[in-house]
Amino acid sequence: MTELTTQTAQPTAAELVDWLRDRVAAQTGRPAEEIDADVPLNDYGLDSVYVFGLCAEIEDQYGIEVEPTVMWDNTSLAPLAEALLTLIAAR
Amino acid sequence: MSGGAARWPTGLPGALDTAIEEAAAPGGPFHPATGSRLDAREEFPAAACAVLDDCGTARAYVPAELGGVPGGLPELVAALRTVARRDVTVAVAHGKTFLGSVPTWVAGTDEQRRALARRVLDGAVVSWGLTEPGHGSDLLAGELTAETTADGGRRLDGAKWPINNATRGDLISVLARTAPEGGPRGFGLLLVDKAALAAGSWSPLPKEPTHGIRGADISGIRFTGAEVPADALTGAAGDGLDVVLRSLQLTRTVCTSLSLGAGEHALRLAHAFAAGRAMYGTTLLRLPLARRVLGRAAASLALADAAALLAARAAHCLTGEMSVVSALVKAGVPEIVQLAVDDLAELLGARGFLTEHHADGAFQKLERDHRIVAIFDGSTAVNRALLINQFPVLARLHRKGTHDAEGLAATVGAEPVPPLDPGALRLFSRTGCSAVQALPGAAGRLAALAAAGAVPPRVPELARALAEEAAAVAAAMAAPLPAGRGTPAEAFETARRYERCFAGAAAVHLLLADPGDPRRVSSLTAAMERALELLRPGHEAPLEAYETVLETLADPAKELIA
Amino acid sequence: MTSARSADTAPRPGTGTGPAGAPEAGRPEDADPREATPRPEATGYPEGTGCPEAAGRPADVDRLERLFGDAGDPANPVGRNAVLAADDRAGMLAAGEDLLTRFGLNAHFVPRDLGGRFEQLDDLVRVMRAVYRRDPCLGLGYGAGSFMAAVNVWTAGSTGQRERLAGRLLSGGRAACAYHELDHGNDFTRAGLTALPGPDGRLRLNGRKEVVANLRRAETVVLFARTDPAHGSRSHSQLLFDTADLPAAAVRHLDRYPTVGMRGVQLGGIEFTDCPVPDDSVVGRPGQGVETALRSFQLTRVALPGMTIGLLDTALRTALRGARGRTLYGGRAADLPLSRTILAETFADLLLADTFTTVAARAAHTAPAQAGVYASAVKSFVPTVLIRAVQRLSELLGSQFYLRAGEQPLFQKLLRDVQPSAFGHASRVSCQSALLAQLPLTARRGWRADTADPLPADTFRAGRPLPPLRFADLAVSAAGRDPLARSLVVATASAAPDDPLAGSGRAWCARLAELTADASGLAPTLIGPDAPPYAFGLTARWTGVLAASACLNTWWNRPAEAAGSAADPAVTLAVLHRLGSHLDHHREPLPPRLAEPLYAELGRRLDAGLTFDLDRRPTGA
Repeated sequence: MTELTTQTAQPTAAELVDWLRDRVAAQTGRPAEEIDADVPLNDYGLDSVYVFGLCAEIEDQYGIEVEPTVMWDNTSLAPLAEALLTLIAAR
Repeated sequence: MSGGAARWPTGLPGALDTAIEEAAAPGGPFHPATGSRLDAREEFPAAACAVLDDCGTARAYVPAELGGVPGGLPELVAALRTVARRDVTVAVAHGKTFLGSVPTWVAGTDEQRRALARRVLDGAVVSWGLTEPGHGSDLLAGELTAETTADGGRRLDGAKWPINNATRGDLISVLARTAPEGGPRGFGLLLVDKAALAAGSWSPLPKEPTHGIRGADISGIRFTGAEVPADALTGAAGDGLDVVLRSLQLTRTVCTSLSLGAGEHALRLAHAFAAGRAMYGTTLLRLPLARRVLGRAAASLALADAAALLAARAAHCLTGEMSVVSALVKAGVPEIVQLAVDDLAELLGARGFLTEHHADGAFQKLERDHRIVAIFDGSTAVNRALLINQFPVLARLHRKGTHDAEGLAATVGAEPVPPLDPGALRLFSRTGCSAVQALPGAAGRLAALAAAGAVPPRVPELARALAEEAAAVAAAMAAPLPAGRGTPAEAFETARRYERCFAGAAAVHLLLADPGDPRRVSSLTAAMERALELLRPGHEAPLEAYETVLETLADPAKELIA
Repeated sequence: MTSARSADTAPRPGTGTGPAGAPEAGRPEDADPREATPRPEATGYPEGTGCPEAAGRPADVDRLERLFGDAGDPANPVGRNAVLAADDRAGMLAAGEDLLTRFGLNAHFVPRDLGGRFEQLDDLVRVMRAVYRRDPCLGLGYGAGSFMAAVNVWTAGSTGQRERLAGRLLSGGRAACAYHELDHGNDFTRAGLTALPGPDGRLRLNGRKEVVANLRRAETVVLFARTDPAHGSRSHSQLLFDTADLPAAAVRHLDRYPTVGMRGVQLGGIEFTDCPVPDDSVVGRPGQGVETALRSFQLTRVALPGMTIGLLDTALRTALRGARGRTLYGGRAADLPLSRTILAETFADLLLADTFTTVAARAAHTAPAQAGVYASAVKSFVPTVLIRAVQRLSELLGSQFYLRAGEQPLFQKLLRDVQPSAFGHASRVSCQSALLAQLPLTARRGWRADTADPLPADTFRAGRPLPPLRFADLAVSAAGRDPLARSLVVATASAAPDDPLAGSGRAWCARLAELTADASGLAPTLIGPDAPPYAFGLTARWTGVLAASACLNTWWNRPAEAAGSAADPAVTLAVLHRLGSHLDHHREPLPPRLAEPLYAELGRRLDAGLTFDLDRRPTGA
């Protein structure tokens, strides 16, 4: 779990996907390279309610408020990163 | 602050208490022999439910602004507890209407809310259909579909089972697949009026024989091309899971009332037995070991009571924390009460096992009935998984010590609660759990009160000890965990400890909010002692710790915590 | 899956042995060559999956298992469906009673010198456990009640009484054990029913007995009655008589007492009004009743919890089947780490209960004078372990456990049936009271005696023969001696430094030393029924030391050829971890390194159709 609560610089989409991939890898115990950005997180064992934990980490890392259902509306990492970039840019 | 009716002498719980007392005369619907007979025959307690109808119990299921009682969730918890301490089956059978209605209160349009309020106040029975055969608590595995029809309505196909009041219900709120692929955005919630369905498009599934609550209508319903109008949808088509998860935060909080009532019933039966049982030239009640068992059970109830009260008030005053608080009490309170019931069963021995000969078999009935509470509306394991999911945030906020001081102050106070704002319910608490996070500060304030002689010195000692336990639990929660199916057993144990920290914190805050009443202080102190026992392996409360709650119990006119 | 047993090797009840319906009771084991040796090949299991050498007399258990057949077969008249149907009607399973009569179960309650097959207490437990695996109501309602009545007579009865009761049981009759009065519960020394001489000098009964198994059905009754109005321990006696010999007008049977669990067992009551009993009814000397009860019930207080392990065996099997069959969040519920932990912990609980009761049962042969302490320890501890374990297993089934017609409908019956093990016969508190009375002396004498003898090693070697059980040597007081605790100290001292359990042994010795210090100074005023909770807590600590000694010494005395789980120290470590949890030393789940081997073994035994206890015998339950 990250301890960072300070605001980080605006990431690129690729950086954001990489960071998310690391988090998912840590939560699911899989190697990061196995996490495909276009495969639904559910397929990696992150059920609809468990993704909320990831949500909190995103909030801490990027200093934004994320409605947990953003994880339901964007079920894989690539579209999730897109949605988050908009929120990060608007902070 | 406890005992259901006592806190609401002029409200619904008081009226219920009086009516149920009258109906408990021999031959009456609330006489224990009647309950036992219906239980043996697996018959629905219709006459007892009619007593509840006559009292206007439905008003407790409806928000105040729509014609319901003014006291919100705390008054509803007190009302259902008043019923459950006589007969859990009746409380389960009648209270289901609240569960079925909540999604509409949470996500319905003004028109839908008004329409359902009218129906409920007119006595309609509302059911809630979430589970399906073979899928248990796994809501997203549901297969019942709601396809769009040409006129914009929906056509339901599939079955819901096992569902409380599925057959008797006039209306049923159904979670259905609105997108074939399902997923968190693939479900919607529809309020189905059975009378408005085409004949032959639905059928009841037979009553399931159950271990306890044998008289309740635990059955199911199958839809085959059942068409409902467009306005049956509660919220948008993909909102089903979201609405259900928010609604459950309220219903799970209210479920605690069943445990409080069952526990109180068990304690009164065991106490009466011990007081009347001659042993070794005295009574069982006077033997130190039996006193300890009874006193510990009474303290357990005081603890459960504090947790449930704080949670019910938090729904109004710390609404955004209910994803945590509701899971804490839904997992924690039934377990704390079940442990007490188990201890009391041992004290009663053979008498608690007889179905007719001792107190009309009331004990064994409540013992079976109570076991449903840990299962329905999300099992203990499901609720712990929800907590585990929030561990990282809870751990971080605990370490920081931040909390919603204003919301907590309103929660622990005695003032009437403000109207519940369902829009403030969150799937994930941003402020963690203020009651636990505020423990160190509360301990400090109690120390100051003790130094001034306003509370006994044991009180801040206990509060400090509970704060230490909470810090240890927070440290355990900070450990990285695999998510989802890989969650190890230790994490569930950590969740259990956190539930007990919350219950202990509830007692601490309630005591701090009103340290002037010595009897209340002693009951809440006993609750804190019990919380510490439940948190520390091998720890036993001091010899006299539970004597005051036991003496309170001996006088039936008094409540456990007044 | 149910079991690997195929239809042609699993004889239907009544077809397996002997002419249909012919009682086998009393038939010496070697009179029938068909039953003289274990027949593992007939069970349909590959050789070596069972553990024949671990069981004293597996032939009886295997034969009984074959008679019961496959519980999952819907057509089996003693299968699960039939058991559940009988429970729903609150009746005994008639086909099961017939089967047990054909099997000759009663012979296992009758000592060999009286024509029966009772020799070793642990063997009796094994046989009865097989019954409890199928239907606890049959176990209690057909078997255990008669055994409880009979031990009184074996211990203190005259030759004539012993032969009379033996004959009754061997011919398939029943005996009721009439001690209980609702107003006095397990405190039988307060029993109010009187048997005082009438004008003609004959004893006359006045009063009632309540909630007694088979009181109406049993031909023979062992009745506990006050035979002297004076207070004290010499005022009661057991009476043995046939109800047919009583004048009908003086006897009134009370309505049956329906119960929430063990529903099939017919619990009756009886009221006597000036009822004369035959002259030779008193068992032993008049006034000897309390002593006889305290001595003879030492056997039943070990045996009943030992039998009830069969109930947990089936509950575990049922829950495991349910968790395997239940899909949750895209996988089997049994695969979730929490489920695996609960299953492994329950398995360890079962092994803990079995190890402790087996050692206590065998100690009744090797240290009969101390059997009372070990019986009280077992009865105060094991039922709680069993009840908690069954309750925990319900978590694996989710809402299914609450459904009486669900996927595993047997489970809710077992949850109800296990409850009376806590208060039936002797409650935890009454057993702790019995221990408390002997605690200070034991602390001052037994635990400080550096030269006292430990138990003979064969006590811990389940497959080894034992000296005959000498009823006359059962004693009211253990005289402060505790050879089981001594075995812990002696064996720990001689354990090799690299022994994987040596550290555990030292830790438990340290606990014994603390207990010795705390209990030695216990004032005599603190050991009565009004003792403080702290004093009762000391007896729980004592019980913990005894259970730990049983587990550790069973490990240290394991057979040289032990293989598989019997040779894996992880199992003993897991069992001791659970013991610590039950004693509230800690509340940690079993760590994966201990849980995973047990979970794997559990699955292997389920698939192979083997019991989960130490015996690992084939079962169709």
